[in-house]
Amino acid sequence: MAHLTRRQLLAATAAAPLAAQQGEFVLRGKKPMIVHNDFPEDLESLPEYLASWITPNDSFFVRQHLPRPRVDAAAWRVETGGMVNQKLSLSIADLRSMSQLTVAATLECAGNGRGNFRPRMPGLQWTKGAIGNAHWRGPRLRDVLLKAGASPQAAYVDFDGADVPVGKVPEFIRSIPMRKAMHESTILAVEMNGVPLPDVHGFPLRLIVPGWDGASWVKWVNSIQVQAQPNPGFYMATAYKYPRVAAVPGGAVKPEDMEVLEGMAVKSFFAKPGEGAKVRVGQSVTLAGIGWGGENRVTRVDVSADGGASWRAAVLGREDFPFAWRTFSFEWKPARPGYHVLCCRAADSAGRTQPIDAAWNPPGYLNNSIERLGVVVEG
Amino acid sequence: MKRILLLIGSVAALGAADAAMIERGKAEEKRSCGGCHGVRIIRTQRLSRLNWERELDKMARWGTEIKDREAILEYLVATQGDDKPQPPPEKSGDGTK
Repeated sequence: MAHLTRRQLLAATAAAPLAAQQGEFVLRGKKPMIVHNDFPEDLESLPEYLASWITPNDSFFVRQHLPRPRVDAAAWRVETGGMVNQKLSLSIADLRSMSQLTVAATLECAGNGRGNFRPRMPGLQWTKGAIGNAHWRGPRLRDVLLKAGASPQAAYVDFDGADVPVGKVPEFIRSIPMRKAMHESTILAVEMNGVPLPDVHGFPLRLIVPGWDGASWVKWVNSIQVQAQPNPGFYMATAYKYPRVAAVPGGAVKPEDMEVLEGMAVKSFFAKPGEGAKVRVGQSVTLAGIGWGGENRVTRVDVSADGGASWRAAVLGREDFPFAWRTFSFEWKPARPGYHVLCCRAADSAGRTQPIDAAWNPPGYLNNSIERLGVVVEG
Repeated sequence: MKRILLLIGSVAALGAADAAMIERGKAEEKRSCGGCHGVRIIRTQRLSRLNWERELDKMARWGTEIKDREAILEYLVATQGDDKPQPPPEKSGDGTK
């Protein structure tokens, strides 16, 4: 798709850049969120929104590389091409007429937690709320690929959306390998938590890549291209790559030593209480949070109320599905007054656990450092 | 005494020049950045001079015409350098009402 000039940008997108920058920012349909950017909208969920297993649409974080497009759902088509026997042009009705699957899956921005890395690096300074868990519903991608007759020699599938870059900004095109494209849980979602996708979440069609970072979950999908190689564009060749070998903090990593992110780290954090909360000696307080492990299941979460000197197992929530986070809770009855540092640490089915400090990396991805949350116990 | 006054005058002039440069840089931010994306994404970051240089390079590669690069760089380093405290999170209004 052609790039926009600044003037065309105003006409073609669903929000105007300068208007959005005036005064308090409000995004229709969203509760108060942490604003990292207003145009395009990049909004972080507050920790207390993340205490439930399913994150409601009105409090789900928003990440956009390019301004969201104006959408005419009735005229929408997703085109398949590349190494296929048959080029398809599917409407939303066509996709809804196919067998539908509901997947519970956690969506997390690869840069969630970037704001906590030191030295700092450019990018959205997410703290911990660039994450949410939802039910996504739509046809399996593999059914679309089989319908199109994808070649057995193909190794990747490229996805592009209707969002259009300004100037020479690269197109946001992402590729996933065929093994993930054909996975039974990889779907093209038309619904999020039982309703049509909200526009900021990709209405009318979004790719769902369970267990993988949000960059792969392309929104406003209108092009599916079956290919032998991953897309050579910026968002596969340069962005969303992670060092093969741990980098020296603040140091550079050669491009050839970076590899495409696939999957996510094991991680957990507290949804409540909040940082700086006051609790009473001898009174029980519920420490609640979430743990997740990308393509792996969370098998345990341990909690410490003494800065990591001692750990005890938290109780995991009953919802235990692949690709979806697990809630945890821990009843804590503080015995002593004063400042306490609470920590939580998840482990997953691949045997991974969280480090004290996540590996620093130039783009600031996968920050899964053990959370340290300060609370004050009053006597 | 004369030398001290001269020194004070020079420092004051330098301060005024810096302030003018920063104002120019802020205007350049609005002109060159604000037409394509919100400036909040800039103002929520605290970066080293090197990283701001790299960001300006990236934006120039992506088609931004930066007319007063020196001013915008000095403005970013002076107001959003990595030695500056992170601003408190800004909350949006309630869009569900």
